[in-house]
Amino acid sequence: MADTIKVEVFKGEGGQGAYQVFDVPRMESQTVLDVVTHIQRNLDASLAYRFACRVGMCGSCAMMVNGSPRWTCRTHVGDVVEDGCLKIAPLRNLPHIRDLAADLVPFFDKMQKAGGRFVAGKEVPQQMLNIDPQSPARVAVDAGIECIGCAVCYAACDVVAWTPDYVGPAALNRAWTLVNDERVADTGWHLQQVALDGGCTSCHSQGACSVHCPKSLNPSQSITGLKRAVAAAFIKGEL
Amino acid sequence: MDEFKTIETDILILGSGGAGLMAAIHSHDANPDLDITIAVKGLLGKCGCTRMVQGGYNVAIAEGDSIERHFMDSIEGGKWINNQDLSWRLVVEAVNCIAKLENQFGCFFDRNADGTVHQKAFAGQTFDRTVHKGDLTGIEIINRLAEQVWARGINRLEEHRAIAFVRDTSNTQLAGVVLINMRDGSFTFVKAKAVLLGTGGGPTMYRYHTPSGEKTCDGMVMALRQGLTLRDMEMVQFHPTGLLAGMDTRMTGTVLEEGLRGAGGYLLNGDKVRFMQDYDPRGERATRDIVSRAMYEEIRKGKTTPNDGLYISMGHLGAEEMARKFKGMVERCADCGFDLAAGLVEVVPTAHYMMGGLVFNEDCSTDLPGLFAAGEDTGGVHGANRLGGNGVANSTVFGSIAGVSMADYAGDADGFHDPDLTQVGAAIEAALKPFDNPAGDLNVLREDLLTLMWEKVGILRNADDLNAALVRLDELEDRLHKCGIGDQSRTFNLTWHDWINLESQIVVSRAIAHASLARENSRGAHFREDFPQTGDLEKSRFTCVSLKENQMQVATEPVEFTIVRPGQSLIGDDPVAAPGKEF
Repeated sequence: MADTIKVEVFKGEGGQGAYQVFDVPRMESQTVLDVVTHIQRNLDASLAYRFACRVGMCGSCAMMVNGSPRWTCRTHVGDVVEDGCLKIAPLRNLPHIRDLAADLVPFFDKMQKAGGRFVAGKEVPQQMLNIDPQSPARVAVDAGIECIGCAVCYAACDVVAWTPDYVGPAALNRAWTLVNDERVADTGWHLQQVALDGGCTSCHSQGACSVHCPKSLNPSQSITGLKRAVAAAFIKGEL
Repeated sequence: MDEFKTIETDILILGSGGAGLMAAIHSHDANPDLDITIAVKGLLGKCGCTRMVQGGYNVAIAEGDSIERHFMDSIEGGKWINNQDLSWRLVVEAVNCIAKLENQFGCFFDRNADGTVHQKAFAGQTFDRTVHKGDLTGIEIINRLAEQVWARGINRLEEHRAIAFVRDTSNTQLAGVVLINMRDGSFTFVKAKAVLLGTGGGPTMYRYHTPSGEKTCDGMVMALRQGLTLRDMEMVQFHPTGLLAGMDTRMTGTVLEEGLRGAGGYLLNGDKVRFMQDYDPRGERATRDIVSRAMYEEIRKGKTTPNDGLYISMGHLGAEEMARKFKGMVERCADCGFDLAAGLVEVVPTAHYMMGGLVFNEDCSTDLPGLFAAGEDTGGVHGANRLGGNGVANSTVFGSIAGVSMADYAGDADGFHDPDLTQVGAAIEAALKPFDNPAGDLNVLREDLLTLMWEKVGILRNADDLNAALVRLDELEDRLHKCGIGDQSRTFNLTWHDWINLESQIVVSRAIAHASLARENSRGAHFREDFPQTGDLEKSRFTCVSLKENQMQVATEPVEFTIVRPGQSLIGDDPVAAPGKEF
C-alpha cells in the first residue's frame, strides 16, 4: 500500500472550474468520502461536498469517481484507486452547485413527473390489509422498491445526457413498482405518466443504470416491464 | 447588520425526518389553503435519522397484544420517569399511524406467508410487535413520505440551516426563524405563524456515534436560547456494536445491527476471549445498556483490539448462513474492507439516541406560543430508555399530531407577528463570528470534545468526572470563540458549518453533563458509579435544564404518575383502568 494517493478534485462553481491536485495519506480503512473529508479538514477548508448518513442509506454523497458514479461513503479507496490516483468530480447530468456538490432538484422533479407517488383510492382502509407477499406483482414491487434515490443511475445514463426531457431510470423504476402495487387505485394514470414524452419509450436499453446501481437493482428490467405494459394498454385502447 | 431576505409562510417546518414530513403532510391535508415550507440542513428526506431506522415500528395490532401492554413495556423500559400521558398518546396513535403509512402514503411492510403483517421480537418487549421492512424500515417510510410532500407542492428550503428563533416585538410569541442558505451563504428570515422543531437530536458529541453526520442538536440549542426547558438530558442511549475502523474514517461509530448479538454472535476482547458472561448471565444477549457498560468496562481494563475496542465474531454460526441472514451488514462491512461473516470485526459502544429534549405538550405545543415540537428534539415520551422500535413511532405519531395542531393554530392566527429585528441581527452577527478570527485548528477542538464526552460524560459516570467535564466544556467553548476559519467565501462552506456545529454540540454537551450530575441514581441509559442504585421509583424525579444569560440552570421535578404508579400495571391479574376505559 502506497503512503499517499494523488487526488484530483474538481473545484469550481456553476459548471465552471478545474481539477486541483491534493496528496492525501493512504489509510487502511478509507473510503472515498474519507478522502474528500481529509481534504476539507486538512488541506482546503473551502471544499464543498455533500454527505449525511455515512453508510449507504441516504444517497446524498454520490460523486463521479474515476469517471463512474458511486456512493463515496461505501466505496473503499482500495477498490477504485488506479496507479495511486483518484479523480473525483460532481455527479454527471445534473446542474452543478459548487465543487463536488450537484443540484438534485431535477432528479426529484422527474420522479414526480413520472407519477412517483402512491395515490390512495376514495375509501382508505383503517387497518393494515392482508396481502400475499408471494404474488408475482408483489415480487415485482419488492425487486425495485429498495431504491434510495442516490441518482447514480441517472448520472450513469447516456440517454439522460442526450435527452434532457428523459425522466431517467430511477423515476421509471419507481413507476414500475407502483404499476405492480395491488393497492394502487388508478394504475392507468401511472401508465399515462410514463407514456408521455421523456417517459419509458425514450430508454435505449443500454443498461448502464443496472450496471452502476449500488443496490444491485435492475431499473433496465423495470423499464422493459413498463414498455410492455404501456404497449398492452395502448392496444386495448386504454391509453 | 448583514443583509437578509425575508420570506413569509404560514407554517415553517424545521427538519425532514419522520416528524417533519408527517407534520407537513398533515398540516396540508388539514388545511390545503395554508402555505407550508420545510427547511432542512441537507436534502429533503435524505438527511436526518428516521431514514436510518433498521429495526422497525412498534405498534400493538397483533391478536393477543394490546396498547396497554405496549404502554407498560414503554414505562418499564423508561424506568418510570416517562411523561405517562405522552407515552399513552404514543401507543394509542401508533395504531392509526401505521395504517395511514401503508394505506394512504403507500409504505409496505413485511408480511407473513398468510398475508398478515409480520411483527418481530425486539429487546425489552413482552410481545412481538415490531412492524418492519426487512432491515431498511426507515428508508421505506421516508421515501414514501418524501414523495407525498413533493406531490403536495410544499415549499422546500433545502440546505438551509436554522440558527435562531426570533420573537415578536412584545417578546411573548414566536415570529419566525433565521436560517443560513448553506449553498450561497446568505441569510433568510422566515416569518411564520407556526413553527415545528423537528430537527432531531443526535448525540454526535461523543467519540463514537451513530447518527447522520450533519446532526448536531441545533434545534435543542435554539430552544435553550429562548429560555425553554429541556428534560432528561442525561439519558443518552448507547448501542453496543458500533463499527470501529480508526479515527480517520467516517465509518467508525456506525451501527452493526442488534440482531447480530441476538443471533448468537460473540463479543471478544483484545485477547480474543469472550467476556460477557462475567457481567451478565445472558451474555451477549443482555440488553443494550448492560452490554454497553460491560464493553466499556472491558475496554477500561485494557484488553483491547488495535483500535482500542473489542471484536464481534459471527463465524462460528457459519459464514454462508451469516452472509445470507445479515446480507446488508455483511455487504456494508465488505465494502469497507471487513469480513463480518467469517472474520473478526472491531466494535465499540456508540452513542445512538437522546431520550431527553424539549418539554412539550400532548398536542405538540411548547411553552413558547407559535413553537411546536416533535421527534427526537423532545423529551418525556421514552423516559430513561427508549425501546427499539419506539423511535420511529414517536417521530411519526407526534409529527402527525403537530401537523394538525399547527394547521389549527396558523388557521386561527390573525396575520404574522412583527419580529424583533434586533434578535435577527444578533443571530446573524453571532453566525458570522468565525470569519472575523484567523483560521484555527477546528479538528483539534472537535477531537477534544469527542474524547472528553466519551471519557467523562459517557457510559459510566461519576461526580468527579462530570465536574471536570463541565470545566473543560467551558474552556472548549472559550477556545472555539477565539478560533476562527479566516476570511473566506461563505458559499457552501462546510468548514463554517463545522464551526457552528461545534458550538451547538458544546452547548448541548453542557446540558447533558449538568443533568447527569443532577441525577444521583442510575436509571436506564444513565449510570453513576458513585450512585449505582435505581433509587425509590415512587419518588422518581426528572431533570430540567435551561439557559439563563448563558448559564445553565438545572432543577428536578417529581414525576407525575398520571396513569399508573410503580407496582401497578394496566395488564395482568389486577390491572388499573387505562385512560378512557372503565373496568
